[in-house]
Amino acid sequence: MSETTILTDIFRWLPFVLWGFALNILMSILAIMLGTAAGVFLGFGQISHVRLIGRISRLATQLFRNAPWLVLLFYCIFLMPYSFTVSGVTYNVPSWLRATLGFSVPVAANFSEIVRGAIGSIPKGQWEAAEVLGYTRTVTLFRIILPQCVTRMLPPWMNLYALLITATPLASIVGVDEALARTQAAVQSEVQPGFLIPMYLTLLTMFFLYAYPISRVSAALERRFQTV
Amino acid sequence: MLEVFRQFALDLKASGINLTILYDAFDFERFVSGLMTTCALIVICTLFSILIGGAGAAVLALSRGPAAMLVRAYVALIRNTPLLVQMYFFYFAVGSLMPVGQNAIGLPVPMIGNFTWAVIALSLYAGAFNIETFRSGLGAVHNSYEEAALALGYSRFKAFRYVVVPLGLRFSFASLANNLVDLTKSTTVAYAIGVAELLYVSNQIWSDSLNTFEMMNVMLAIYLLLTGIVVWIIGRVQAAMSLPGFGAN
Amino acid sequence: MRVLKTLAFGLAIGLGVAGARAQTLDCGDDTLCKVEATKVLKVGTKDDYKPWSYRAPDGSFAGMEVDLANALGQLLGAKVEIVKVNSANRFEFLAQGQIDLMIASATDTAERRRVVGFVHPNYYSSGYNVVLPKKVKATKWEEVAGQTICAIQGAWYNKPAQEKFKIELLAFAGTAEVDSAFQQGRCIGVLSDDNMINVMLADPKWADYHMPLPTQDDAPWGIAVRLNDLDKPWGVLVAGAIANWHRSGKLLELEKANGIAESAYLRKMHEALKDHLPAE
Repeated sequence: MSETTILTDIFRWLPFVLWGFALNILMSILAIMLGTAAGVFLGFGQISHVRLIGRISRLATQLFRNAPWLVLLFYCIFLMPYSFTVSGVTYNVPSWLRATLGFSVPVAANFSEIVRGAIGSIPKGQWEAAEVLGYTRTVTLFRIILPQCVTRMLPPWMNLYALLITATPLASIVGVDEALARTQAAVQSEVQPGFLIPMYLTLLTMFFLYAYPISRVSAALERRFQTV
Repeated sequence: MLEVFRQFALDLKASGINLTILYDAFDFERFVSGLMTTCALIVICTLFSILIGGAGAAVLALSRGPAAMLVRAYVALIRNTPLLVQMYFFYFAVGSLMPVGQNAIGLPVPMIGNFTWAVIALSLYAGAFNIETFRSGLGAVHNSYEEAALALGYSRFKAFRYVVVPLGLRFSFASLANNLVDLTKSTTVAYAIGVAELLYVSNQIWSDSLNTFEMMNVMLAIYLLLTGIVVWIIGRVQAAMSLPGFGAN
Repeated sequence: MRVLKTLAFGLAIGLGVAGARAQTLDCGDDTLCKVEATKVLKVGTKDDYKPWSYRAPDGSFAGMEVDLANALGQLLGAKVEIVKVNSANRFEFLAQGQIDLMIASATDTAERRRVVGFVHPNYYSSGYNVVLPKKVKATKWEEVAGQTICAIQGAWYNKPAQEKFKIELLAFAGTAEVDSAFQQGRCIGVLSDDNMINVMLADPKWADYHMPLPTQDDAPWGIAVRLNDLDKPWGVLVAGAIANWHRSGKLLELEKANGIAESAYLRKMHEALKDHLPAE
């Protein structure tokens, strides 16, 4: 088996795997958006002065932060209904979308902690000063505290995204047809023995090329904001 | 006592909740062995990953040469590629290049089994995160401590070993706890290369008995318990090592 | 607020993709009605079970089970959409409604019948066996007790083989991993169905391997529908289609076309159901 034939075989399968990788990216982008939005609410919930909300938010955050991603994925794939009907129109929720929801749950819990940490890192004096000036708690949060938090939350948020994109191949285990599943199908269909290692290397390279720049930017931002 | 559980489980089955692990001896046995494997993975990988993290952070702190470059490249590679693909890559790709022994009936058998590969992959993975953790912990120790130690006549290495490291370690605990919880959760990925850990046996059980829902709830509860234990242990260590005036919490 | 807007946008994309296939239907849970109305038949097959079901480099599915799915689609005038399933998730996918029909080399067992509806007659049959290197001279199952043997997660024979013959099982999610693990000597053999092993052994790549043990528990494979469809038009239609395929010899034909050695089960079924009048 010469090296050129392996190379041409890889190129033959590359579009197929790349389309799978596009699904990884789509899943990660949707999951980070859903997770971030839900995480903001959970994070606010954690610092809420209403005791019940605070307790539920903290419980949910701990629960979903400490459960393995793969277990949450199995939940979403097997236990979530496949289709739902709203006023006579049936919507299908394909498995990749359910896997996306499965990813967004731990993302939300992790982001909830990031929000709580960032808000907690703002000196207490600012809250008190705002209160003295007659601002309500909500106004203080949105107009004074949060704008300062954004820069602090950005680097850990990007780290979370890098973690998320590298977690998306887990979806192959629950049957989503993404890049890893497609690499395996390719290795299976191509009988030649030397094909496995280069195919997996190609896949690793794909993820690295996508995730590494993000980590670099995140690290640079972290350094820039460190002086705050 | 066991008989009571058995009867309880059979009653549950009659009402639609099929917990085979409580009344089927075969399922019970493999479930327990899966749990043991998961615990072994957690303990062994925790130790190795802390060793890797400490060694890597020390290299980064003490050297600027090719060794530091190598460590940085390793951290970048591991952190920016999927653990699952790393696991497959180690097991199927690197594993195929490894020396082969012989078993009792004279057939070739790889010297490194799937459990060992899982340990290697998970330790390297968590180790890369620990390097970052320890590095930033050491970075959080103010320069003045090192300078004071040097002024007292410590060598650069001794100042690092006896002043910077003990303080940096204490700054690292929160992030280390996070990494080890992640490691605990990540042991599920060993499932992909056929390590008979908790997720693997649970999957086998629900494939045979089709009690997916029950098994997943059992599994979730167990993992929450395990991560809880990890957090508790680190909390205890942190408390035992705390110095007055250091570490925010 | 930016976050909320991007979120709304993201959700719109997500639901847009999902909703593109949304339909207004009054079929209730009658799958036949749904298939006829939407002109789409969703069939779950594996993608790593060559030659029954596998992938071509362009990503399309091929194999005997895919041919069966297409034959049914033709009969109904519906477009066949193949959904990839694996041994560990196929029943859940069917029960949830992600697929209308499962043709995924699933053995028809009592445990499984509580979850999905296997239509009759069965369309194939196999037992389980182990492919071993020719160096291994074992002829009885007892001789491989305690040995590590590779298998696929979710296969029905994993539990009986472990319980009865005390083999150590090393199970993976797909055939790709099993084959790699076996070739690298991570197990001494592969536990699989005997048909699959016969196909493997026909390939010169596996010239140094054989199947010396007696096949165990020969059991038929079933095409499955959801339980509530079993005695409804959908289940009955599929049952009729399978009976016709046995009668006409289409199953034997497809088996041959896909390069599988003729199985005794298909021959027996064909003999039992074939027309009593000679062909013109």
